[in-house]
Order: sequence, then C-alpha cells, then structure tokens
Amino acid sequence: MASPCEVLCETEEAAVANHISEHAAAEALRIEQKYSRYRDDSVISQINTAHGRPLSLDEETARLVDYGATLWRLSEGRFDLTSGVLRYAWRFDASQPPPTRAAVTELMKRVGWQHVDWKHPRLTMPDGMEIDLGGIGKEYAVDRVAEWISGQHAVPCLVNFGGDLRCVGPPPASGTWQVGIESTTQPGQAAGCIAVATGALATSGDTYRFIEIDGKRCGHVIDARTGWPAPHAPRSVTVAAPTCTQAGSYSTLAMLHGADAEAFLDAEGIRYWCLR
Amino acid sequence: MQLKQPIGASLTAAACGLLGTLPHVAVAADDSDRWQADTALFYWGEGDGRVQDMSLRAAVHRALGDDSSVDANLTIDTLTGASPSGAVLSNSVQTFTRPSGAGSYQVPADTTPLDDSFLDTRVAIAGTWQQALGESMRWKAGVTASGEFDYQHYGANAWLERDFNLRNTTLYAGAAIGRDDIRPVGGAPLPLTAMRGVGDNSSKLADDSKDVLDALLGITQILTRRSLVEITYSYGQSTGYLTDPYKVLTVVDAVSGLPVAGSPGSGLNLYLYERRPDSRTKHSVFGEWRHAFDRDSFALSYRFMADDWGIRSHTVEGRYRRNLRPGLYIEPHLRYYQQGAADFYRTELVNGAILPQFASADYRLAQGDALTAGLKLGRPSPDGEFSVRLEYYRQTAEPSAGSGIGYLANRELVPPLSAVIAQFGYKFSF
Repeated sequence: MASPCEVLCETEEAAVANHISEHAAAEALRIEQKYSRYRDDSVISQINTAHGRPLSLDEETARLVDYGATLWRLSEGRFDLTSGVLRYAWRFDASQPPPTRAAVTELMKRVGWQHVDWKHPRLTMPDGMEIDLGGIGKEYAVDRVAEWISGQHAVPCLVNFGGDLRCVGPPPASGTWQVGIESTTQPGQAAGCIAVATGALATSGDTYRFIEIDGKRCGHVIDARTGWPAPHAPRSVTVAAPTCTQAGSYSTLAMLHGADAEAFLDAEGIRYWCLR
Repeated sequence: MQLKQPIGASLTAAACGLLGTLPHVAVAADDSDRWQADTALFYWGEGDGRVQDMSLRAAVHRALGDDSSVDANLTIDTLTGASPSGAVLSNSVQTFTRPSGAGSYQVPADTTPLDDSFLDTRVAIAGTWQQALGESMRWKAGVTASGEFDYQHYGANAWLERDFNLRNTTLYAGAAIGRDDIRPVGGAPLPLTAMRGVGDNSSKLADDSKDVLDALLGITQILTRRSLVEITYSYGQSTGYLTDPYKVLTVVDAVSGLPVAGSPGSGLNLYLYERRPDSRTKHSVFGEWRHAFDRDSFALSYRFMADDWGIRSHTVEGRYRRNLRPGLYIEPHLRYYQQGAADFYRTELVNGAILPQFASADYRLAQGDALTAGLKLGRPSPDGEFSVRLEYYRQTAEPSAGSGIGYLANRELVPPLSAVIAQFGYKFSF
C-alpha cells in the first residue's frame, strides 16, 4: 500500500488483538499483490498485457472495475481507471521539471474509459492502454478489513491504512478516536484534530507529492480529461463518509474539482476539511 | 465547474455494489477541538391564564484532548401567570392579601382562587469537568447555581463510572449536595396561622433554607449489538424549609362548606398558611430499555418513586425515533404519570376539627395522573441539527378523602390542568 498500515484495537484480550492484526495484514497483502502493477503475476499485469484480447475478470476485480466505471461516469470523466499511464510523464518530484505539453498529449492517446469495452465481467481494452486500481484499492482494503472485523469481534477498532481509515465496533472508551490532519506546511505536525466515533475518513493531499508549474504548486491528482492537475486544487481534502471507499472517492473528486472543491463537497452535504 | 446533481446516492449504490454491504451506523466525525452547542427555546403554556414559562437553554461541550472534557449550561426562565393558591372556591367573592402584604386581590364567586402575583425570572448555571482514569474509569465533578427573586441555590456534584466485561457493562455512582436559600416575598409565614390583612405582616418570619442530598447508583448493560438496559436506584433527602410560603388552605364550615370568617378586622375569610414536614426522603428505581433497528430506534422506561410523605408514583414513558431519510426524523413521545396523595394533603380544612400537624392543599401533592403526548421533528445535517417539538400535557387531581361538604359537594375542587409545550432546538459546533 506504499504507506504504514495499522489497526488500533481496544481490548484486553491478546488473542483478539492477534486474530485481528493477522487477518488485517493478510488481507492488505492479498489485495496489494493481486492489484499491484509492479508484479508480473498480478491481475493488473494480466489486464495490462492482454494487448486488446478480451479478458473475463474474477468477481472481485469485476466489482472494482464496476466501481471505477461508475466514478468515471459520476465525475464526467475526471476520474478514469486508465489514466495511470500519465505517470510516465508526471513524476511528482519537486526536483523534476513538469512534463512537456507534447509528452502529455502523446500519453493522452492511451487514456479514456470511453475506449474500453466493459461488460461485467468481460473487459476488452485497446492495446497500449493500462488500468490502475491504485485510486480505489487502499480504501477498498480498509473497508474489507473493517467488514471482516465487524463480523468477528465486537471490540472498538480503527483500521488505518496510510491515513485512510474506518471505525469498527463500538466507540472507544474515550467516546471517539482522535485523528490528526497533517499540516500541509509542516509535515508530521497536525493542522487539526477530528474526533470520529463511527464511519470513515479519507484524505487526498499533496504534502509530499507535488510539483510546481510556473511557480504554482500542483497536486498529484490528475484530471483524466486534460492530463493535467486540476488548477487551484486544495492542498488536502479530508472527507467523512460511512465507508472508506466513499470517503476516498469524495476526496479524490473534490481535488479534481480544483477551485470548486468546497462547492462540490457542500452540494453533497457531507462533512469535510479542506486545507488550502 | 460544477457537477449538475449531487452524486451521493449513486456513490452509495456503487460502494454497496463493491463491498456487498454498507454499515447501518451514521457517520460521527467532527473537529475535536471545537465547542458543541445545544440550544433550545422552550415554551410551556397552561390554559385559563395560568403559568406561562418561556425559557432559553444553552449547553456547550468541549473535549480537551483524549481523556477529558468540559460542559457548561445556562438556563434563563421567565415565568408569568397565575397559579392556584390552595384556597377552594366559594359562593361569594373572596379577597386575599398578596404575599408581600402590600395589597390584595379578589376572586369572583364560584371560581377556583388563583394567585396572579406570580412573576419571576430564574437564571441557572452549571459547569462539569469530566476526566478519564485509564481505559475503563471516568469521573466527573460539577457545580450548580441558580437564582431567582426569592430563591437561591448552590450545589456541587460528583460522579464515578467504570466499565466491566469488555465494556458491555458500566457501573456508575453519583452524589449531589445543595443548599437552597428561600427569601419569600413578605417573609416566610408562620405555618398554619391565618392570612392577615393588608399591611399586617406580623405572622411572617424572616428567610429560611433547606439542604438537599441526592445519591444514585446505576448499571448500564449492553444486551446485544442493538439493545441495552439501564437500571438506576436513587435516593434523595431534603431537610429544612420544604413548605411553599405562598400556599394556603381554606377553613370551611362543617355544614355549609363555605369559608369561615378570618381574624377580626382583616375582612378576610380564614385561610391558613400550609405546613409541610421539615424533612423528606425519597427512593426511586428507574429502568430503561433502548433498542435500535436497522433504521429506527426506541426507548421505553419505567420509574417508581416512594417518599416518606406517603407519595407513591409510577411513570411510564416511551419514545420511538423513525428516521424517514438521512436528514429527517420524526419522534413520537408518550408519558403517563400517576401518583398517590401525600399523607397531609387536604383540599380544605373543616372548622372545629382537630388541626392536623401538617397540611397542604397544593394540587401537586394530591392523588392524580398526568399524560404527555407529543411529536418531535428533527433535521440533522453535517452543520447541525434543527428540531421542533410539540407536546400536549393534561393533568388531573383528586380532592382529599372526605372533602366536598355542603356548597363544595359535586364541585370541581381541583380543576384539571392542560398545557402545551413547544420547543425549538438547534445543535451546532463552533
């Protein structure tokens, strides 16, 4: 998951804590291996090396693709499972210059869900295109682990994979979990603190991953319609929702709305924290 | 550029498709370093020109770090209107001296006497500090104070609770002490002496006070993921001046049932100021069952109270919260209360009979019952919750055994009381 993953759980029984942590680690690892684009044996590698041949996806992968396809439609193309190839141009390293227009334009020929033929569970993708479930996978893993815990134990737990998290079970003894929002200017420092008792929080931010274009800081969330980061996006967006998947989608889509991030979230009537 | 429609419903459906299920619980997440405020405008209006109470209530809460929090409350009440003086109706006009002794008022024939000099503003404040002691214990301590024209209260309280059994069981104990100073308008009357005429305060004494001690012991037990019960025993003891300085009893003729003449020259009938014992001990047991369905929830409770004034009461109460949609709920409420009379409750006293040691004609000490029925409508949103509550209250009380001689026979000696309750509430963070 390329980030620290933890499960906090409030119990006096070591066996319960061990049972939860072992399963959580195994599930996180399973999802990571299954959907890693760096592993030759992953489902993603199979899809990305199909060279235009139709593939029949397993049920779990098909559901993730369904979800990604829905996000593409709901975001009117801003979010796109096929936009991962843009990483060849965008390094998001402050020491690197931004990509050239020509490089982005060239890569954009390989982006666009409208070119993909998707009929659950059958996927046919033109040769040269790739899909990347990185924008969904981590939140999905949090929810999977949370759902498993809620069916097994009734102890207060917080499943936290790299800052995307979900509460499970009854609230902790103090009533709420205290979650810090990392400052965008002082990494490691909290800019605020959220008390959460039920539901999930997910954050989309650019504390570490950003690039400057013409002296303006741009976030790492790229608008798949243009191949460029949405202008004037907040530095960080944290959203509260019933599941981590929903919270993560809201925070990503908010980033993609750039200057209108707050207006978008306000219209959704959800609780959020934007840092600019 | 804006998306045209909120995508919440579609996103929820998509997440459900992905995960196969969605949690039932609502999201509870907010800034931990903010104040949570709960404010309400409350109205209580009794029919027939009786008491009206307009009240402003504000409570704030703030968590301080992981294991402590602070609460503060403010209530401002404005009471106007008339309340029964305790005297019974008569076939002729009755004259009463105002509590101040500075004037008098008249009540028409065949009418239950109400004292219309009832007007007061009350301000009450409370502060509480809560602190966790490790993972499974919490204590809190607080102070309370209130003031009105003729009454001051100061109090302190403490509370300790501990979780057991993987936090499925919580035991708690609390205690509160209070000191109330009573400075009745015109002075506290000598009990069971006659009401004097205007300008004659010779039967009035100075101020008085009472001490109150309350203690409770309780348990909350989680039964299932959806159900819990709470059982509480509480003990209350009051000592000192427990009499209502403004309440009287009419002394009636043993045959005609009409008021007898009062002290010569006063021009008044014989009205005696009431007298209650100078101590009262209460025991009560309370049980509540709360249950949550997938969407709705309810709470059912019962309370039994017994005191050494001879009052026994039963209260049954129920609320059902129906969540119509995420931002709207409706909550019907029903409460039924029944009590037996205090040993010394007398609707009127009879001339020539032995004067009892204690006597009060306060209808709140009579045998009776009360029904409250209402509805609350709430609109929770991420920014706060707005609610409206409307309720109807109806109380009836029975005269004491053996009352209703002569003129008073078959008359409504203790008229029923109806009131409407309206409340507008707003909860928010700042």
